[in-house]
Amino acid sequence: MKSAVTTVVSSADAAGRFPSISDFESVKGSFDRASSRLEAAEKLAGCIDQFTNEAVDFVYRDNSYEQSNKDKCVRDIHHYLRLINYCLVTGGTGPLDEWGIAGMREIIRIQLLPTAAYIEAFIFLRDSSKISDMMTQQAAAEFKGLLDYLINALA
Amino acid sequence: MLDAFSRAVVSADAKGAPIGSEDLSKLRKYVSDANKRIDATLAITQNVSCIAADAVAGIVCENTGLTQPGGHCYPTRRMAACLRDGEIILRYVSYALLAGDPSVLQDRCLNGLKETYLALGVPLSNAIRAVEIMKIATVAIMTETNTGRKMFKGINSGSGSECQDIAAEAASYFDLVIEALR
Repeated sequence: MKSAVTTVVSSADAAGRFPSISDFESVKGSFDRASSRLEAAEKLAGCIDQFTNEAVDFVYRDNSYEQSNKDKCVRDIHHYLRLINYCLVTGGTGPLDEWGIAGMREIIRIQLLPTAAYIEAFIFLRDSSKISDMMTQQAAAEFKGLLDYLINALA
Repeated sequence: MLDAFSRAVVSADAKGAPIGSEDLSKLRKYVSDANKRIDATLAITQNVSCIAADAVAGIVCENTGLTQPGGHCYPTRRMAACLRDGEIILRYVSYALLAGDPSVLQDRCLNGLKETYLALGVPLSNAIRAVEIMKIATVAIMTETNTGRKMFKGINSGSGSECQDIAAEAASYFDLVIEALR
Protein backbone atom coordinates (compact mmCIF):
# COMPACT_ATOMS: atom_id res chain seq x y z
CA MET A 1 0.00 0.00 0.00
CA LYS A 2 1.45 3.31 -1.07
CA SER A 3 2.28 5.89 1.55
CA ALA A 4 5.09 8.39 2.04
CA VAL A 5 7.21 5.90 3.92
CA THR A 6 6.68 2.87 1.69
CA THR A 7 7.45 4.93 -1.43
CA VAL A 8 10.77 5.99 0.06
CA VAL A 9 11.63 2.47 1.19
CA SER A 10 10.70 0.96 -2.19
CA SER A 11 12.97 3.28 -4.12
CA ALA A 12 15.83 2.84 -1.64
CA ASP A 13 15.43 -0.92 -1.93
CA ALA A 14 15.32 -0.81 -5.73
CA ALA A 15 18.70 0.95 -5.64
CA GLY A 16 20.02 -1.34 -2.90
CA ARG A 17 20.98 1.54 -0.67
CA PHE A 18 20.31 2.48 2.92
CA PRO A 19 17.76 5.24 3.60
CA SER A 20 19.55 8.55 2.97
CA ILE A 21 19.18 11.98 4.51
CA SER A 22 16.83 13.08 1.75
CA ASP A 23 14.68 10.00 2.41
CA PHE A 24 14.48 10.99 6.06
CA GLU A 25 13.53 14.52 5.08
CA SER A 26 10.65 13.34 2.95
CA VAL A 27 9.41 10.97 5.65
CA LYS A 28 9.68 13.81 8.14
CA GLY A 29 7.72 16.08 5.81
CA SER A 30 4.84 13.65 5.65
CA PHE A 31 4.84 13.31 9.44
CA ASP A 32 4.61 17.07 9.82
CA ARG A 33 1.31 17.04 7.92
CA ALA A 34 0.10 13.90 9.68
CA SER A 35 -1.56 15.53 12.68
CA SER A 36 -4.22 17.33 10.64
CA ARG A 37 -4.82 14.21 8.56
CA LEU A 38 -5.29 12.11 11.67
CA GLU A 39 -7.60 14.72 13.16
CA ALA A 40 -9.79 14.64 10.06
CA ALA A 41 -9.78 10.82 10.13
CA GLU A 42 -10.82 10.78 13.77
CA LYS A 43 -13.67 13.27 13.30
CA LEU A 44 -14.86 11.44 10.20
CA ALA A 45 -14.81 8.09 12.01
CA GLY A 46 -16.90 9.60 14.79
CA CYS A 47 -19.56 11.05 12.48
CA ILE A 48 -19.47 8.61 9.60
CA ASP A 49 -23.07 7.44 10.14
CA GLN A 50 -24.33 10.98 10.57
CA PHE A 51 -22.53 12.16 7.41
CA THR A 52 -23.87 9.20 5.45
CA ASN A 53 -27.46 9.72 6.55
CA GLU A 54 -27.43 13.45 5.94
CA ALA A 55 -25.99 13.04 2.46
CA VAL A 56 -28.43 10.28 1.52
CA ASP A 57 -31.40 12.17 2.95
CA PHE A 58 -30.36 15.13 0.85
CA VAL A 59 -30.17 13.05 -2.33
CA TYR A 60 -33.55 11.39 -1.64
CA ARG A 61 -35.29 14.55 -0.45
CA ASP A 62 -37.50 14.57 -3.57
CA ASN A 63 -38.48 11.62 -5.70
CA SER A 64 -35.82 11.94 -8.38
CA TYR A 65 -34.37 8.50 -7.42
CA GLU A 66 -36.05 5.18 -6.53
CA GLN A 67 -36.78 5.34 -2.80
CA SER A 68 -36.42 1.55 -2.59
CA ASN A 69 -32.70 1.85 -3.36
CA LYS A 70 -32.06 4.17 -0.48
CA ASP A 71 -30.55 1.58 1.87
CA LYS A 72 -28.13 0.43 -0.84
CA CYS A 73 -27.10 4.00 -1.35
CA VAL A 74 -26.48 4.35 2.39
CA ARG A 75 -24.26 1.27 2.27
CA ASP A 76 -22.22 2.58 -0.68
CA ILE A 77 -21.76 6.10 0.67
CA HIS A 78 -20.69 4.63 4.00
CA HIS A 79 -18.21 2.40 2.18
CA TYR A 80 -16.67 5.33 0.29
CA LEU A 81 -16.44 7.44 3.43
CA ARG A 82 -14.67 4.58 5.17
CA LEU A 83 -12.14 4.43 2.34
CA ILE A 84 -11.64 8.19 2.65
CA ASN A 85 -10.99 7.64 6.36
CA TYR A 86 -8.28 5.12 5.37
CA CYS A 87 -6.78 7.54 2.86
CA LEU A 88 -6.59 10.20 5.56
CA VAL A 89 -4.69 7.75 7.74
CA THR A 90 -2.19 6.60 5.10
CA GLY A 91 -1.70 10.07 3.67
CA GLY A 92 -2.19 8.88 0.09
CA THR A 93 -5.01 7.83 -2.21
CA GLY A 94 -3.95 4.15 -2.07
CA PRO A 95 -7.03 2.70 -0.31
CA LEU A 96 -9.49 4.61 -2.55
CA ASP A 97 -7.57 3.65 -5.69
CA GLU A 98 -7.16 0.00 -4.82
CA TRP A 99 -10.46 -0.78 -3.14
CA GLY A 100 -12.85 1.90 -4.36
CA ILE A 101 -11.96 3.11 -7.83
CA ALA A 102 -10.25 0.17 -9.55
CA GLY A 103 -13.00 -1.72 -11.38
CA MET A 104 -15.64 0.80 -10.35
CA ARG A 105 -16.51 1.90 -13.87
CA GLU A 106 -17.21 -1.66 -14.95
CA ILE A 107 -19.47 -2.33 -11.97
CA ILE A 108 -21.37 0.90 -12.42
CA ARG A 109 -21.93 0.19 -16.11
CA ILE A 110 -23.12 -3.38 -15.56
CA GLN A 111 -25.43 -2.54 -12.64
CA LEU A 112 -26.72 0.64 -14.32
CA LEU A 113 -26.11 2.62 -11.15
CA PRO A 114 -26.92 6.33 -11.17
CA THR A 115 -23.48 7.81 -10.44
CA ALA A 116 -25.08 11.23 -10.38
CA ALA A 117 -26.62 10.31 -7.03
CA TYR A 118 -23.23 9.53 -5.52
CA ILE A 119 -21.73 12.70 -6.93
CA GLU A 120 -24.62 14.73 -5.56
CA ALA A 121 -24.13 13.18 -2.12
CA PHE A 122 -20.39 13.84 -2.01
CA ILE A 123 -20.76 17.38 -3.31
CA PHE A 124 -23.36 17.97 -0.58
CA LEU A 125 -20.86 16.72 2.02
CA ARG A 126 -17.98 18.72 0.59
CA ASP A 127 -19.96 21.96 0.67
CA SER A 128 -21.60 21.23 4.01
CA SER A 129 -20.64 23.78 6.62
CA LYS A 130 -20.49 21.02 9.24
CA ILE A 131 -17.04 19.96 8.15
CA SER A 132 -15.44 23.33 8.76
CA ASP A 133 -17.31 23.66 12.05
CA MET A 134 -16.08 20.41 13.49
CA MET A 135 -12.42 20.31 12.42
CA THR A 136 -9.56 22.70 11.89
CA GLN A 137 -9.14 24.37 8.53
CA GLN A 138 -6.14 22.22 7.63
CA ALA A 139 -7.96 19.00 8.50
CA ALA A 140 -11.04 20.11 6.56
CA ALA A 141 -8.85 20.86 3.54
CA GLU A 142 -7.39 17.33 3.63
CA PHE A 143 -10.88 15.81 3.87
CA LYS A 144 -12.35 17.96 1.11
CA GLY A 145 -9.38 17.22 -1.13
CA LEU A 146 -10.14 13.52 -0.94
CA LEU A 147 -13.86 14.11 -1.51
CA ASP A 148 -12.94 16.06 -4.64
CA TYR A 149 -10.65 13.27 -5.76
CA LEU A 150 -13.51 10.78 -5.43
CA ILE A 151 -16.01 13.07 -7.16
CA ASN A 152 -13.64 13.40 -10.11
CA ALA A 153 -13.15 9.66 -10.26
CA LEU A 154 -16.93 9.07 -10.31
CA ALA A 155 -17.69 11.78 -12.82
CA MET B 1 4.79 -3.57 1.71
CA LEU B 2 3.10 -1.87 4.64
CA ASP B 3 4.01 0.81 7.13
CA ALA B 4 2.46 1.62 10.50
CA PHE B 5 -0.35 3.59 8.80
CA SER B 6 -1.26 1.11 6.09
CA ARG B 7 -1.03 -1.76 8.60
CA ALA B 8 -3.81 -0.01 10.59
CA VAL B 9 -5.81 0.41 7.37
CA VAL B 10 -5.51 -3.23 6.35
CA SER B 11 -6.59 -4.50 9.75
CA ALA B 12 -9.49 -2.02 9.94
CA ASP B 13 -10.64 -3.03 6.46
CA ALA B 14 -10.77 -6.67 7.54
CA LYS B 15 -13.33 -5.58 10.14
CA GLY B 16 -15.09 -3.22 7.71
CA ALA B 17 -14.90 -0.41 10.23
CA PRO B 18 -13.40 3.07 9.96
CA ILE B 19 -10.25 3.76 11.96
CA GLY B 20 -11.32 5.31 15.24
CA SER B 21 -9.69 7.10 18.14
CA GLU B 22 -8.14 4.03 19.71
CA ASP B 23 -6.00 3.04 16.71
CA LEU B 24 -5.28 6.66 15.92
CA SER B 25 -3.67 7.22 19.29
CA LYS B 26 -1.06 4.55 18.42
CA LEU B 27 -0.40 6.27 15.10
CA ARG B 28 -0.08 9.63 16.82
CA LYS B 29 2.62 8.09 18.98
CA TYR B 30 4.38 6.87 15.84
CA VAL B 31 4.22 10.40 14.42
CA SER B 32 5.38 12.07 17.61
CA ASP B 33 8.30 9.62 17.85
CA ALA B 34 9.38 10.40 14.29
CA ASN B 35 12.57 12.19 15.38
CA LYS B 36 13.69 9.35 17.57
CA ARG B 37 12.85 6.85 14.86
CA ILE B 38 14.92 8.71 12.31
CA ASP B 39 17.83 8.99 14.75
CA ALA B 40 17.62 5.30 15.57
CA THR B 41 17.67 4.47 11.86
CA LEU B 42 20.68 6.73 11.46
CA ALA B 43 22.40 4.78 14.24
CA ILE B 44 22.23 1.77 11.93
CA THR B 45 23.04 3.47 8.63
CA GLN B 46 26.08 5.30 10.01
CA ASN B 47 27.61 2.13 11.45
CA VAL B 48 26.69 -0.57 8.97
CA SER B 49 30.15 -1.83 8.11
CA CYS B 50 31.24 -1.65 11.71
CA ILE B 51 28.25 -3.65 12.98
CA ALA B 52 28.49 -6.26 10.22
CA ALA B 53 32.28 -6.61 10.53
CA ASP B 54 32.08 -6.99 14.30
CA ALA B 55 29.47 -9.69 13.98
CA VAL B 56 31.49 -11.68 11.46
CA ALA B 57 34.68 -11.21 13.50
CA GLY B 58 32.68 -12.41 16.50
CA ILE B 59 31.60 -15.70 14.95
CA VAL B 60 35.12 -16.32 13.66
CA CYS B 61 36.66 -15.70 17.08
CA GLU B 62 34.14 -17.96 18.77
CA ASN B 63 34.71 -20.68 16.22
CA THR B 64 38.22 -20.44 14.79
CA GLY B 65 37.68 -23.46 12.54
CA LEU B 66 35.60 -21.22 10.26
CA THR B 67 38.62 -19.52 8.67
CA GLN B 68 40.74 -22.69 8.46
CA PRO B 69 40.84 -24.56 5.15
CA GLY B 70 37.55 -26.47 4.95
CA GLY B 71 35.81 -23.96 7.24
CA HIS B 72 32.76 -22.07 6.07
CA CYS B 73 34.50 -18.67 5.97
CA TYR B 74 37.42 -20.01 3.90
CA PRO B 75 38.57 -18.66 1.46
CA THR B 76 38.11 -14.91 1.78
CA ARG B 77 35.50 -14.93 -0.96
CA ARG B 78 33.12 -16.71 1.41
CA MET B 79 34.00 -14.41 4.27
CA ALA B 80 33.16 -11.46 1.98
CA ALA B 81 29.78 -13.02 1.17
CA CYS B 82 29.17 -13.25 4.89
CA LEU B 83 29.90 -9.55 5.41
CA ARG B 84 27.70 -8.65 2.47
CA ASP B 85 24.78 -10.63 3.88
CA GLY B 86 25.20 -8.96 7.25
CA GLU B 87 24.86 -5.58 5.56
CA ILE B 88 21.80 -6.71 3.60
CA ILE B 89 20.05 -7.83 6.78
CA LEU B 90 20.91 -4.52 8.43
CA ARG B 91 19.52 -2.68 5.41
CA TYR B 92 16.15 -4.42 5.66
CA VAL B 93 16.05 -3.94 9.42
CA SER B 94 16.63 -0.22 8.84
CA TYR B 95 13.73 -0.13 6.34
CA ALA B 96 11.44 -1.93 8.80
CA LEU B 97 12.45 0.42 11.58
CA LEU B 98 11.73 3.49 9.46
CA ALA B 99 8.36 2.11 8.34
CA GLY B 100 7.46 0.91 11.83
CA ASP B 101 6.33 -2.41 10.41
CA PRO B 102 8.21 -5.66 9.71
CA SER B 103 6.42 -6.52 6.44
CA VAL B 104 9.24 -5.22 4.20
CA LEU B 105 11.79 -7.32 6.12
CA GLN B 106 9.55 -10.39 5.97
CA ASP B 107 8.56 -10.14 2.31
CA ARG B 108 11.82 -9.02 0.75
CA CYS B 109 14.53 -10.49 2.95
CA LEU B 110 13.43 -13.34 5.20
CA ASN B 111 11.01 -15.12 2.89
CA GLY B 112 13.06 -18.08 1.60
CA LEU B 113 16.29 -17.00 3.29
CA LYS B 114 16.60 -20.17 5.33
CA GLU B 115 16.00 -22.36 2.27
CA THR B 116 18.63 -20.40 0.34
CA TYR B 117 21.18 -20.81 3.11
CA LEU B 118 20.44 -24.51 3.39
CA ALA B 119 20.86 -24.94 -0.35
CA LEU B 120 24.14 -23.03 -0.34
CA GLY B 121 25.45 -24.91 2.66
CA VAL B 122 25.67 -21.86 4.93
CA PRO B 123 25.75 -23.04 8.57
CA LEU B 124 22.57 -21.63 10.13
CA SER B 125 23.85 -21.73 13.70
CA ASN B 126 26.72 -19.39 12.81
CA ALA B 127 24.43 -17.11 10.81
CA ILE B 128 22.07 -16.88 13.79
CA ARG B 129 24.97 -16.06 16.11
CA ALA B 130 26.10 -13.27 13.76
CA VAL B 131 22.57 -11.79 13.77
CA GLU B 132 22.54 -11.95 17.57
CA ILE B 133 25.78 -10.00 17.73
CA MET B 134 24.41 -7.44 15.27
CA LYS B 135 21.33 -7.07 17.44
CA ILE B 136 23.35 -6.46 20.60
CA ALA B 137 25.66 -3.99 18.83
CA THR B 138 22.79 -2.10 17.20
CA VAL B 139 20.85 -1.72 20.44
CA ALA B 140 23.99 -0.57 22.27
CA ILE B 141 24.78 2.05 19.63
CA MET B 142 21.17 3.29 19.51
CA THR B 143 20.83 3.66 23.24
CA GLU B 144 24.43 4.92 23.56
CA THR B 145 25.26 2.21 26.07
CA ASN B 146 28.25 1.00 24.04
CA THR B 147 31.66 1.31 25.65
CA GLY B 148 33.94 3.93 24.16
CA ARG B 149 32.95 6.82 21.97
CA LYS B 150 29.47 7.89 20.90
CA MET B 151 28.89 6.03 17.67
CA PHE B 152 26.36 8.16 15.84
CA LYS B 153 25.23 11.68 15.44
CA GLY B 154 21.48 12.17 15.17
CA ILE B 155 20.05 14.99 13.08
CA ASN B 156 17.34 15.54 15.67
CA SER B 157 17.24 15.95 19.40
CA GLY B 158 16.11 12.48 20.40
CA SER B 159 18.92 9.99 20.97
CA GLY B 160 20.50 7.79 23.60
CA SER B 161 18.26 6.94 26.51
CA GLU B 162 15.25 8.41 24.69
CA CYS B 163 15.64 5.72 22.03
CA GLN B 164 14.92 2.83 24.44
CA ASP B 165 11.48 2.03 22.95
CA ILE B 166 12.69 2.25 19.39
CA ALA B 167 15.76 0.15 20.21
CA ALA B 168 13.45 -2.52 21.63
CA GLU B 169 11.49 -2.39 18.37
CA ALA B 170 14.73 -2.79 16.38
CA ALA B 171 15.68 -5.75 18.58
CA SER B 172 12.31 -7.35 17.76
CA TYR B 173 13.14 -7.11 14.04
CA PHE B 174 16.48 -8.87 14.62
CA ASP B 175 14.56 -11.52 16.56
CA LEU B 176 12.38 -12.04 13.48
CA VAL B 177 15.54 -12.69 11.44
CA ILE B 178 16.76 -15.20 14.03
CA GLU B 179 13.33 -16.83 14.11
CA ALA B 180 13.30 -17.14 10.31
CA LEU B 181 16.69 -18.91 10.33
CA ARG B 182 15.84 -21.38 13.09
